[in-house]
Amino acid sequence: MQYMLLIYEDEKGYGDKLDSPEIRDITARHMALVGELGSTRISGAGLMPTATATTVRTTGGKQAVHDGPFAETKEQLGGYYLIEAPDLDAAIAIAKRVPLRVDGAIEVRPLIVH
Amino acid sequence: MTALDRAARDHKGRVVAALAARFRDLDLAEEGFAEACARAVTAWVPTPPRDPAAWLFRVAERVALDALRRRAIRAGAALPPPDPELNAEELLMADSALIPDERLRLIFICCHPAIHPEARAALTLKLVCGLSTSEIARAFLIPETALAQRLVRAKRKIADAGVPFEMPGPDAWAERLGAVLSTIEIAYAKAHEDAGGAGRHAGYAREILGITAILTDLAPQESEVLALAATVRFAEARRPARIDSGGMMVPLDRQDPALWDKALIAEGRLHLARALALGSASARTLQALIHAEWCLRRSLDEPAPWRSILVLYDALLELRDDPVIRLNRAVALAEVAGPAVALAEVDALDAAVLADFLPWHVVRADLLARLGQNDAARSTYDAALQLGPEKAERLWLEAQRDASGQ
Repeated sequence: MQYMLLIYEDEKGYGDKLDSPEIRDITARHMALVGELGSTRISGAGLMPTATATTVRTTGGKQAVHDGPFAETKEQLGGYYLIEAPDLDAAIAIAKRVPLRVDGAIEVRPLIVH
Repeated sequence: MTALDRAARDHKGRVVAALAARFRDLDLAEEGFAEACARAVTAWVPTPPRDPAAWLFRVAERVALDALRRRAIRAGAALPPPDPELNAEELLMADSALIPDERLRLIFICCHPAIHPEARAALTLKLVCGLSTSEIARAFLIPETALAQRLVRAKRKIADAGVPFEMPGPDAWAERLGAVLSTIEIAYAKAHEDAGGAGRHAGYAREILGITAILTDLAPQESEVLALAATVRFAEARRPARIDSGGMMVPLDRQDPALWDKALIAEGRLHLARALALGSASARTLQALIHAEWCLRRSLDEPAPWRSILVLYDALLELRDDPVIRLNRAVALAEVAGPAVALAEVDALDAAVLADFLPWHVVRADLLARLGQNDAARSTYDAALQLGPEKAERLWLEAQRDASGQ
């Protein structure tokens, strides 16, 4: 099965520069995990902060474009891994290895199989 | 109860577990079992099979295989190999000793941490204990349709999220066993709340005795499993003494030990002794020890063991500091150090967290009454009654309230 691991953290902890020591540190840790996972990892990426987010909202057939993420939350989606795993327990085991700066959450979602 | 009703009730967990493990599909297992029961209505007349469980398993297995074959035809996929057809005589002679016991595996699936905690207990009672949806809905005080939806969602999650049908490996055992034991604790707390055990909990506590017996058989080296099994036995042993002839609740220290079930207490002691030999003291072994201490009492002439109970609660608090344990400790503290000291402890707890917790109101009301604060005691008893306790508890609370300040 394929699972998406969605990484939620408080982005404020990374400062507002993309080359902050916090970003460099977490990137190195992600790269280490990517190396360990090998072909188990199908793809993955970090996302730019929510300050760069633009939302296209459709309501009653009308579309409007506005600044910001779709919802203001305490922790934000900051990146993802797409992995291949035999079952949920295997996916959870990998989710537990995803690095976080301090606190955060990894949401594990299976992909729809067609 | 007909032979079929009895067989369905007694063997459902075992047969559904074996089918679920074989097909890795909970719905298919349940539907196969239901269809086998439907066929038994005519097939068991005039001669019921020698081994009803084996008959139900073999027929349900065939029903499930037929369903899989129809699914494969619809999907245009390759057909699974045909299963060996059993003739009627083979079915009548089938032996349930040959059905693998997969109940523990099924319990672990139902109690997977990825399943909502309330759904875990409901799913376990449904699939492993064989309770009906309406029985579980009554026990959990929720409408049957809401419970049915919760069960459907949980089963879909298991199928769609890929919850494995394997036993967890040794590294995950501790975490996963914890979820299983917590689920059983939640389920048992529901059954234990109601002293009378009348109506909607009838038979339900017995199922928890059964499920903990299965767990101790299958995991005899796990001290936590043994400790929980011991606690359930001690608590159930006292059930005959928990209501008086008028249907009113009898508090633990006024129960007549002569009415307690000695055999169940002995079984509990055996489990507790093994638990203590296997592991260091845990919150669960201490809770079992507290129950065991009460069960040592032989008659109402002997003093209640409040001092030892307080010592055990002190030890428990070191391991698990939560408001419910602090509240229980305060009950013992009142007997040892007086109601004023105990009330100070109870009032230091977070009232917002405990507002819907019946025992909190009950303990406070009793302490207030003992301190002569009768108006406060009466209004606290009223607050407890507002929470809608069961009949046995309600009668007792009303009597206590009416006695306050008379």
